[in-house]
Amino acid sequence: MKSREQEYREMFMAEALEYYDAMGRHISELEKNPSAEAALNELFRLMHNLKANARAMGFNELGEIAHGMETIFGLIRSKEKDFTGSIIPVIFGGIDTIGTMIRAIGEDAAMPEVDVLLANLDRLVKGEEPVLEGELVTTDDARKLELSDLVYIQIKKLDHLLNLVGELIIDRDRIFTLGQEIGNPALQSVASHLFRIADELQYSVMDARLVNVGSLFNKFPRVVRDVATAEQKEVNLTISGQDIQIDRNILQIITDSLLHLVRNAIGHGIETPQEREKSGKPAIGELAILASTERDDVLIQVRDDGRGINVDSVRRKAVERGLVSANAAATLSPADVRAFLFEPGFSMAKEVTDISGRGVGLDVVKLAIDSLGGQLRVESELGKGTTFTLVLPTSIAVKGALLFELEGRSYALLLMHIDSVVSLWPEQLHVVGGMLLAEVQGENVPVVSLRQLLHTSDEPLPPADRSELHGRQDIIIANYNNRRLGLIVDRFVRQQNIVIKPMSQPLDTIDLFGGVTLLGSGQVCLVLDVPAITRVFLAKRP
Amino acid sequence: MKNRILIVDDSFYMRTMLKNMLTDAGYDVVGEAANGQQAIEMAAATRPDLITLDVILPDNTGLDVLKGIRQDQPEVRIVMCSAVGQEVIVNEALESGAVAYIVKPFSEEKVLEIVSSALQQGSAATTEADDTPAEG
Repeated sequence: MKSREQEYREMFMAEALEYYDAMGRHISELEKNPSAEAALNELFRLMHNLKANARAMGFNELGEIAHGMETIFGLIRSKEKDFTGSIIPVIFGGIDTIGTMIRAIGEDAAMPEVDVLLANLDRLVKGEEPVLEGELVTTDDARKLELSDLVYIQIKKLDHLLNLVGELIIDRDRIFTLGQEIGNPALQSVASHLFRIADELQYSVMDARLVNVGSLFNKFPRVVRDVATAEQKEVNLTISGQDIQIDRNILQIITDSLLHLVRNAIGHGIETPQEREKSGKPAIGELAILASTERDDVLIQVRDDGRGINVDSVRRKAVERGLVSANAAATLSPADVRAFLFEPGFSMAKEVTDISGRGVGLDVVKLAIDSLGGQLRVESELGKGTTFTLVLPTSIAVKGALLFELEGRSYALLLMHIDSVVSLWPEQLHVVGGMLLAEVQGENVPVVSLRQLLHTSDEPLPPADRSELHGRQDIIIANYNNRRLGLIVDRFVRQQNIVIKPMSQPLDTIDLFGGVTLLGSGQVCLVLDVPAITRVFLAKRP
Repeated sequence: MKNRILIVDDSFYMRTMLKNMLTDAGYDVVGEAANGQQAIEMAAATRPDLITLDVILPDNTGLDVLKGIRQDQPEVRIVMCSAVGQEVIVNEALESGAVAYIVKPFSEEKVLEIVSSALQQGSAATTEADDTPAEG
């Protein structure tokens, strides 16, 4: 973890170099056209900022020089001075010195002598002639051409780099395992070195792709204002957590989703000022876009204090659409009912949009989040408001997974979709309506044998029979769309970070599998897709 | 309820420092604007209790921004932020309704003291007689 001081210093350096670059550009512009107003304004502003920042960091001499330069640019701007004659070498010398000083700060080197420059700046401010001798002749050092420390890089190139790292990690694991199998100490030592280097490389590449969510959030004040005006709503927006970092492509993928959720919240969630006042709420609606981190995940929330989701009308609609039987619907919890909002096509129901104030295209949002291996949650209280939570991985490359065995084969499930793992005796499972139920954290969770689920083709699952279970059962409690499902597997193996490769044709049509990864042993390991598994279970349950 | 603050400064370094200081002290920093246009938009959208406003911004002066925001939200308290040398603008800002000013470089104590007293003294619109700036 970087200390705050270190962070400030890096920030200061990056900005100072940027300012210095810009000073070079503007001063040559000014040289060509001594009354270029825009260039003058910029030079003035850059000097002013550099002065303030340098003083805050305790680089007082640099602050002094910037102050003198700022004053002179101010005088030129107000036409009290011209950018001609002896002023020119002093200013060019000043900018060179600023460059040398910034470089010295970056390298922790000694600062140059600046007394002569300061005295000359002072003379110029007082309206005296500067003394142009010796020292002002630029040293070789200052003549160096400065290149910015920042590089702009196309995301495509970073994508390629990340793919290569993914391949490398797989080979690394393979070599590491081989080293252990062969038992050659030299190979083992090289392998463990390779292991560390590849790890570091992977994190560096992932780190290079991180951007602040603020780069997206900062576009929302404008959006909110426009949408609120169009919808004739009054909305107060709060944004927080802008400095939380996330992979740039993930941010790109969720852009439309976030826009959608915000539009929905204003259009359908928050009531008109009149309605709000009638129900005893402040006329101005509150909307918040918040980012935070939870373990390795990034949480992005869109929260409004609007009318909330009407669970009963969603329930009715779900029955009408044949998504659930009337009897089953009656027993579903509000959270289970709200999950229907994410069902494909469900949200197209105009009526629900009007009654519940929710629903247009939420399935599309859900799909985008699923494609990232993330989760979309919704909480809502009728009349009080709604919160959508996007749970996103920080990075797309490597994902935490639980490896387990089924019929001698290895499979993986993403940790992101796993609530917990439990080992239960058959007596601890109950059979209700032909379905196994386990009590997990005070809630009844349906449990199914993953083997059965994968093997029964299109017909429904046979009614559960506890006597088929022998001994302790390893059960993964998966979670998708607020729905928990216990999957009985043969054996938990271990937790591991894996690199997922998408399935290639023609296997990519099997949507039960989200991809494939290679284990250190060289074995191919299928990654099960929890959303698909949950859908299959719902379709086949007895 | 936490007081909500919008930070306006064209230097990322300055914004970060201010944000850290204010957040650590329990304020809710609702946004950061890097230029005048952004400042006016974000002020309208976030409706903060207080704005720290840099005097010199890339697209216009803090003074224009001050006037623009106060026209729309006369109740918002605005604290000017400036390095020495821009006293003329700062004075004009105070006359136009800013409640206080902070001189860069600033200490954490000073910033918090000025911000908390600015929040307590109410908006300049209602206390025109008492617009003595806190000392920088």
